[in-house]
Amino acid sequence: MNLHKQAVLSSIENINQSYFTLTVEDKEVAELSQAGLFCQIRPRSSSFPRLRKPISIYDVDGDHIRFMIKRIGAGTQGFAQLRSGDAIDLIGPLGKGFTVPAGRRIILISGGIGYPPLFFLNKRLKDAGNETFWLHGGNCSDDLFPCAELWCRDGSSGNAGLVSEGLAKRLPDHQYDLAYACGPIPLLKACHQICQQAGIPLQVSMEAYMACGIGVCHGCAVPVWERGEPVYRNVCSDGPVFDAALIRWEEL
Amino acid sequence: MRRIATRLGRIALSNPVSVASGTFGLEYADFFDLNRLAAFVTKTITLEPKQGNPPPRLYETEAGLLNSIGLQNPGLDAFIAVHLPRLRKQLSIPIIVSFSASSVREFAEILKRLEDEPDISGYEVNISCPNVAREGITFGVDPFAVAELTHKLSPLTQRELIIKLTPNVTDIAAIAQAAEDNGATSLALINTLTGMAIDYRNGRSFIKRGIAGYSGIGIKPVALACVYKTAQAVRLPILAMGGIHTWQDALEFFYAGASAIAIGTASFIEPDAPIRCLEGLQNWFQQNDLILPEIIGRVSF
Repeated sequence: MNLHKQAVLSSIENINQSYFTLTVEDKEVAELSQAGLFCQIRPRSSSFPRLRKPISIYDVDGDHIRFMIKRIGAGTQGFAQLRSGDAIDLIGPLGKGFTVPAGRRIILISGGIGYPPLFFLNKRLKDAGNETFWLHGGNCSDDLFPCAELWCRDGSSGNAGLVSEGLAKRLPDHQYDLAYACGPIPLLKACHQICQQAGIPLQVSMEAYMACGIGVCHGCAVPVWERGEPVYRNVCSDGPVFDAALIRWEEL
Repeated sequence: MRRIATRLGRIALSNPVSVASGTFGLEYADFFDLNRLAAFVTKTITLEPKQGNPPPRLYETEAGLLNSIGLQNPGLDAFIAVHLPRLRKQLSIPIIVSFSASSVREFAEILKRLEDEPDISGYEVNISCPNVAREGITFGVDPFAVAELTHKLSPLTQRELIIKLTPNVTDIAAIAQAAEDNGATSLALINTLTGMAIDYRNGRSFIKRGIAGYSGIGIKPVALACVYKTAQAVRLPILAMGGIHTWQDALEFFYAGASAIAIGTASFIEPDAPIRCLEGLQNWFQQNDLILPEIIGRVSF
């Protein structure tokens, strides 16, 4: 059952020049939220018809759901101009999320705006008694957020280089049962290769341009293997989380 | 409700608000009672399953949406075995099955198979999808091909036979006439325009396949002109679609000559767009003490 709600924006906060958070209040949506799920949101006040934005759940605290958004274009800028008390039109929580086991050693890898779903996942994993280690990377210092190990392409903060290098360096000396990743496709591809070589199962959260968000339009297709057959599945309703071994990476 | 009752050829509709093929599914039952719609139009079915086009398949332009889905569908057998029973179970409104094929023979074969299935009120013959190599649009741009196809299909059914037209032609009226002269009982228009978007920063097409189908707010004036031109040329009832988001948009299409309308891309933005449109129309006709047939085609200049 997908919920369609008018949620009140309880706060909007700037993290830095490029990122901000929206916090909305809705008991039902908060209760149904799981790590890896997303909501299709749009400002209630917008009159010109633009598609909703699929935004992953960053955090849940009581009845409050938090989204972390990167200013990219006119659509995300529209959210940045909202004020607390404004209404957000929300469909969700949508999709199939990360599996949350218990008592395992898990490595998390995120890049850029791949951070928020892993923040929520990390919390849930720890609550379930897992031990986690989280690496995050970005292009510049604005893209960096708290975690165990930071990587930055421009060398301005943390380790200089790609976060996938951090993963490759860490794996030989540490034992992990599972890996979870979210970020740009090149990062996910690199994580897949590294984890495959190390024999660690990897779940990835995929991103795609989305229209309906509920599995109707087939716009957000991702190429996967299913029973040995090459097929397309929907990021919105079959994902966004997929087993990395089943994705046809060469098509992306 | 009576004020906005309408007809699409052989089927009576309790209201004029339906949904556009490819943009709607039973998933929307989470958001409103689907049986309030005038009719349910399925996604386009082909004889064999189709995987669809490689991604990226979508891009939102300044005004409207580009899509390159490529008629992804499970094929006729799975539609009949799995999907149609679900539609029957959940819906009490007319079910219209959209289908496409790459030859007249294949179109006829699909229609014959569907004739054996109960609870289908009509067919929307999709000869206008711009996103596939062989199916559809190669028929829809040629009046002689439309004539031949319609001539072949019309004797095979007593159900509503809707031919879905493309706007990507010089003279949509000639295509509409070819369908009317050969036994179509209504027309649906418009399918998507062809469109494209390129990332100026690197010269890369936003859509993998390049040329895509353009829908949504930006195509409304084009759709309106197509409906007007077609309504001037034929007597067949018109199911209009193309950028309809609100009840005000719908009224424009009735004035241009449409007997019913379909909501497409708007459902992605507001999942209850069809119901808002329906309720808006009910209020308007009530407040103005008019009935729908009184305004169909009555645009003034």
